[in-house]
Amino acid sequence: MTRTTRWGALGALLAGAAALAVLAVGTSGGFAAPTAKKKVIIGWAFDSSGNMAPFDNPALAAARIRIKQINAEKNGTVTFEIKTCDTQQNDGAKAKACALSLLDAGANIIFTTCDVDYATPVVTEAINRGKLAIAPCIGTDQMGPKRFGAKGKLAFSFGNVAQDEGSAMAQYAWSRGWKTANTATNTLLVYFKNVVQAFEKRFKQLGGKIVSRESYATGQSNVGTAVTHLNSSKAAVNVTSTAFGELPAFVNGLRSLHNNTPILNSWAGDGTYWTTNNPKVTNYYFVTYASVFGDDPDKAVRKMIADLKKAGAQVGTGGFLGGVDAIDGVYIAIKRAHGSLNGTALANQLVKFKHVPVLGSRISFSPTQHTVFGRQYRVLKIQDNKAKVVGKVTAKVVPKLP
Amino acid sequence: MIVAALDFQTVSDAVATGAVYALMAVGIGLVFGVLRLVNFSYGQLIMAGAYTLAFTSGWPVWASVSTCFAVVIAISLAMELTVFRPLRGQSPAVMLVTTFAIAFLLQAVALIVDLRNDFIGEVATSISALNEAITVGGVEIRKVTIVAIGAAIVALVLLALLLTRTTIGLHTRAAAADFRTARLLGVRVNRVIMFTVVLSGVLAAAVAVILTVQVPLVSPDFALHDTIIVLVGVVVGGLDRLWTATLGGFAIGFASGMINGALPTDNTVYLPSVLFGIVILVLLLRPAGLFSWGRRASAERV
Repeated sequence: MTRTTRWGALGALLAGAAALAVLAVGTSGGFAAPTAKKKVIIGWAFDSSGNMAPFDNPALAAARIRIKQINAEKNGTVTFEIKTCDTQQNDGAKAKACALSLLDAGANIIFTTCDVDYATPVVTEAINRGKLAIAPCIGTDQMGPKRFGAKGKLAFSFGNVAQDEGSAMAQYAWSRGWKTANTATNTLLVYFKNVVQAFEKRFKQLGGKIVSRESYATGQSNVGTAVTHLNSSKAAVNVTSTAFGELPAFVNGLRSLHNNTPILNSWAGDGTYWTTNNPKVTNYYFVTYASVFGDDPDKAVRKMIADLKKAGAQVGTGGFLGGVDAIDGVYIAIKRAHGSLNGTALANQLVKFKHVPVLGSRISFSPTQHTVFGRQYRVLKIQDNKAKVVGKVTAKVVPKLP
Repeated sequence: MIVAALDFQTVSDAVATGAVYALMAVGIGLVFGVLRLVNFSYGQLIMAGAYTLAFTSGWPVWASVSTCFAVVIAISLAMELTVFRPLRGQSPAVMLVTTFAIAFLLQAVALIVDLRNDFIGEVATSISALNEAITVGGVEIRKVTIVAIGAAIVALVLLALLLTRTTIGLHTRAAAADFRTARLLGVRVNRVIMFTVVLSGVLAAAVAVILTVQVPLVSPDFALHDTIIVLVGVVVGGLDRLWTATLGGFAIGFASGMINGALPTDNTVYLPSVLFGIVILVLLLRPAGLFSWGRRASAERV
């Protein structure tokens, strides 16, 4: 035996011994070597200081908390890391640069802002590279193939699709015995319009009657005329989907005309930041993801809100839940795709979501509907400027709109 | 489809809009008359006043409104001293672009200030009682409508008296007619301009008070759309003279209200198209201004 072969034999012996030792530990159930968790990098292009900041900041803050919880799971299979890039008031060029820098930094999945127009530069860059693009709270059916063509199969939103929201509002109105409704459409946003269209369609399916249809637009100074017309049209409820300056103008306008008919609004009307002291907001209802007023029916949601507040986040509306649910949804999709981070593999899992449990509710997607439907809404009522949960409602159907 | 009847209610709402726009038109027309400056940032002065009302909502009404006037006048003067005066003599295009820059600057600052609590919008409710309605012959008229019409009439009458019966008014008219000659004749033009800017600021503050009654949630784009409409109205009425500019402002506000009332109620989305279609038609037929009847070549501008 030469010197070389002697050393070779010794090496083989040691390797065999080491293999036996590993096998022994593995089969005895003793001290298992920790399995390395797969790292998932989420690249989040968000608007910290512009029009979308009130939506993006709470969603991001909530997602960070959820990620901490997931990363701390003993039996978890992945760890998440969020890398952010501020689009600085959703400047188009900056948003695109953000997307590119996040992708170059190794982002596996891209998260984007809560408005589809602002989100488009980011979504486009992500789906062009085969990455999943997620919005925490876009509320239209635009996130998906409808807007982004074939590559749009990689785009999803964890916001509630307007058709679902309008349908839920109709069911709630009907359940309250409100058989007639006036509707007022703010024509500024597709989301606003779709909510009211869906309400009308579902309300009529249920047997309700639309007495009067009004329209107005943010910035057109014509909400007052809509209010005047609504005031002369008698119905059990006045329905709208609006936010911005038109929200208090609409509500105060009707109340100052001594019209106390219930007003029903969508998630757009969540929060009490807009309420006025004279007249106080009364008999005003809205549907939302979660109540941020301390009375959400779900304990885990209340705990999340408490954690958010502890972290210094401003929680003005239930929209923060989209950030949490987006993380949960992605996590579930990764598990179901056996750990794959491939955009198509994850998208294939997401479209199969049917009543999948996430924080506070269950959610669904479909191959044609990439924005959440089927979430259980909280119905809140503002009386004397105080908001309180008065019910829950889940849309039974999602009306198809032209 | 439901077509709204052009009833007294619609007319009342249209007059209210017209009155507010007339006040804005006076403010814009005054500055144009003396400085030959189309002040696109006028809306941001109103926005600043509205934010002041929002931030002082907890104060007594008189204190809140007084502070609003003080802030708007201060910003108007600051604009004149730091930007417009150094640029005096530059081409109208430079001045116009400058007012755009000021407008966007003020709007950006407002957004930063407003977003400090992660919400966009501040509620101004100091005189929200004016939003209550009284019924006159079956027509619901909000108190603020009466105030807006009254304020417009009072402002115009006072302005007319000021311009025709006082020395500073005479100087202002002289400066508006021929800036250089007025200066050569000893008119202290800077004083006249400051006076004009202050008057314009007072009107902007008054508009802020009235608009916040109707739209109590103040955001960075508050009054922006109204300003654009009024600027168009001022041109349609006739930019060269104050009273034609004012009538133009009133007319476009009134027309906007009436068209909105006449359109099918679920199709008011067509309001801007119809309104601006009419504007183009008017300008094609009367390019010098809708109300510039028998205008002389050297018409007085204020």
